[in-house]
Amino acid sequence: MRLRSVWAVAKKEVFHIVRDPFTLALAMGMPVIMVIFFGYAIEFNMKQISLAVFDSSKSQSSRQLQKTFVSSSYFQSLAVLSPAEAIQALDEGRAHAALLIPPAYAENLRPRSESSVQILIDGADNSSAGSILGYLGGIQQKVLSAEFGPYSEPITVQTRFLFNSELNSRWFVVPGLSAAIIAILSILLTALTVAREWENGSMELLLSTPVRPVEIILGKLLPYSVMGLVAVFFVFIMSQIVFAVPFRGNFLVYLLACLIFLSTYLAQGLLISVVTRKQQLSMQMAMLSGLLPTILLSGFIFPVEHMPRFFYYLTMILPARWFISLSRDLFLKGASLQNILPGFLALCALFVLMMVLATRKFKKDVEP
Amino acid sequence: MSAVQVKNLSVQFGDFFAVKDLSFSVEKGEVFGFLGANGAGKTTTIRVLCGLLLPSAGQASVCGLDVLSDAFEVKKKVGYMSQKFTLYDDLTVKENLDFTSALRKMEPEKFREQKEKLLKMIRFKSSEDILVRDLPGGIKQQVSLVAAVLHDPEIVFLDEPTAGVSPAFRQRFWKLIGGLAAEGKTVFVTTHYMDEAEQCGRIALMKSGELIALDSPQELKRNSFPDREPQEVSLEDVFIEQVEGG
Ligand SMILES: Nc1ncnc2c1ncn2[C@@H]1O[C@H](COP(=O)(O)OP(=O)(O)OP(=O)(O)O)[C@@H](O)[C@H]1O
Ligand SMILES: [Mg+2]
Repeated sequence: MRLRSVWAVAKKEVFHIVRDPFTLALAMGMPVIMVIFFGYAIEFNMKQISLAVFDSSKSQSSRQLQKTFVSSSYFQSLAVLSPAEAIQALDEGRAHAALLIPPAYAENLRPRSESSVQILIDGADNSSAGSILGYLGGIQQKVLSAEFGPYSEPITVQTRFLFNSELNSRWFVVPGLSAAIIAILSILLTALTVAREWENGSMELLLSTPVRPVEIILGKLLPYSVMGLVAVFFVFIMSQIVFAVPFRGNFLVYLLACLIFLSTYLAQGLLISVVTRKQQLSMQMAMLSGLLPTILLSGFIFPVEHMPRFFYYLTMILPARWFISLSRDLFLKGASLQNILPGFLALCALFVLMMVLATRKFKKDVEP
Repeated sequence: MSAVQVKNLSVQFGDFFAVKDLSFSVEKGEVFGFLGANGAGKTTTIRVLCGLLLPSAGQASVCGLDVLSDAFEVKKKVGYMSQKFTLYDDLTVKENLDFTSALRKMEPEKFREQKEKLLKMIRFKSSEDILVRDLPGGIKQQVSLVAAVLHDPEIVFLDEPTAGVSPAFRQRFWKLIGGLAAEGKTVFVTTHYMDEAEQCGRIALMKSGELIALDSPQELKRNSFPDREPQEVSLEDVFIEQVEGG
């Protein structure tokens, strides 16, 4: 293998990329759009939950409760004068949820007693309803520790294990964003680029020179690996600076996982283009086998645990499913390599399988 | 030693013979024309000779190297201008030639010399930084020829190099072919134009994968129409008589 040939092929590929508006737009724009869409837009909605508050307790404690809601920065409070007005606010869409605090709230709020408030949630928008429900648990705990002091040791310990106690959608989605972006950049673009050489006949001209198939392949994949890695860094930096998603794991382990995942998808793109040899078909196959499963079946948005049994098992053959779950573990739980070993091994196995399939098929095809 | 030697070569795609029991040889320095109707098996034969396709039966050697066992070495010695693809349209002339030289593993010094010499030969006047898609068709074919012979191969295979090019450019292109032959290179060329075939040293006529005639243009005319003066016969007539008639 000669590095010069690899480099020459890679350089040529870069020329193709920068001179093709479609590829360039996809490569540069897609990560940004995805980050804004999945990171910022979803987060923006969540912050806008307006909460109608009817406080008939008017006590120190009830004010503390309201403060807890507002200070979590997911709620904006809207004071109302009666329960009827609260319901009206919900009906008119001025509020997404209502908090009704009974007169006896403060009195009942003492150890070995039960104090309750009523919370009404607009169930029409069931995604934000789910998130609101998720926040409540966290808020309840904060109220408890504010009222009774931090002596409640068991609660504090428990919070540390709850990796996303307020069910922050952003924290859930952002770690998986890299997977979705890599699915687009690696599978789609590689599938297109190799298919294009077959389709316009230039592959044959390449193969008529003393260049080894492996040099062509490495050269072709190199720019897309770099693009994928840049996207990974971009998402990572955004996740830290803009979205403030905690990263509690080992960055090197994460980088390694990214590289393996990226290579798996590059191999998948290569396999598709070698099998189809047509750009149109490659594009469809890439969508069907790469992009859609990565977005819908990998747990990126819809948790795999909630999927019907068949789909739950189906997700196991998706590299993205393992990558996303271990990304979340690394980001949010600070998992060590040992903790994520099963997912890591599954990812490695899929990587080896895909690489072997792709290179075998390619070699068999180009060697006369 | 012949530049190309083909013996009982067959190429089969499923049950279909694209090339059947083909035997011929091409001498060094010859301009060898390879003629035949569409689908006669010209491109298939060239692909075998360039080490891109394995024959189903028979032998073929190029520059004394067997294409079956020595495909990689063969690729170093031949230049190939394919029928389907010539240059990357979205790359400049310079980028295309740089790319070829890297794939051909040329020394920078040799590359510079060759490029200068060949671009002069085709009288290339535009900037090397022009995108190939902005070149006129005829010029593009000539630059493509430069790319094919950049590494100074002993033999060059040109598969319909003048398809879709204006008559003036076709004439110029054949001057270049003559120049390459004068340098001692073997030129193996396919064409559908009879006036071009006229300029070959020898012509092989293919029909449905089989060789039906092989001789110099003069001899072909004499043999096909023994009772007429060769000057009065055109290759067109020979072609019609041999390929479409008989
Ligand atoms: N990979 C392949 N699989 C199946 N059939 C093929 C393949 N390549 C070529 N053929 C068939 O073999 C025959 C010869 O094709 P070839 O390309 O060699 O013809 P040609 O003489 O170059 O024709 P043209 O003048 O159109 O270029 C054609 O009928 C073609 O359809
Ligand atoms: Mg042909």
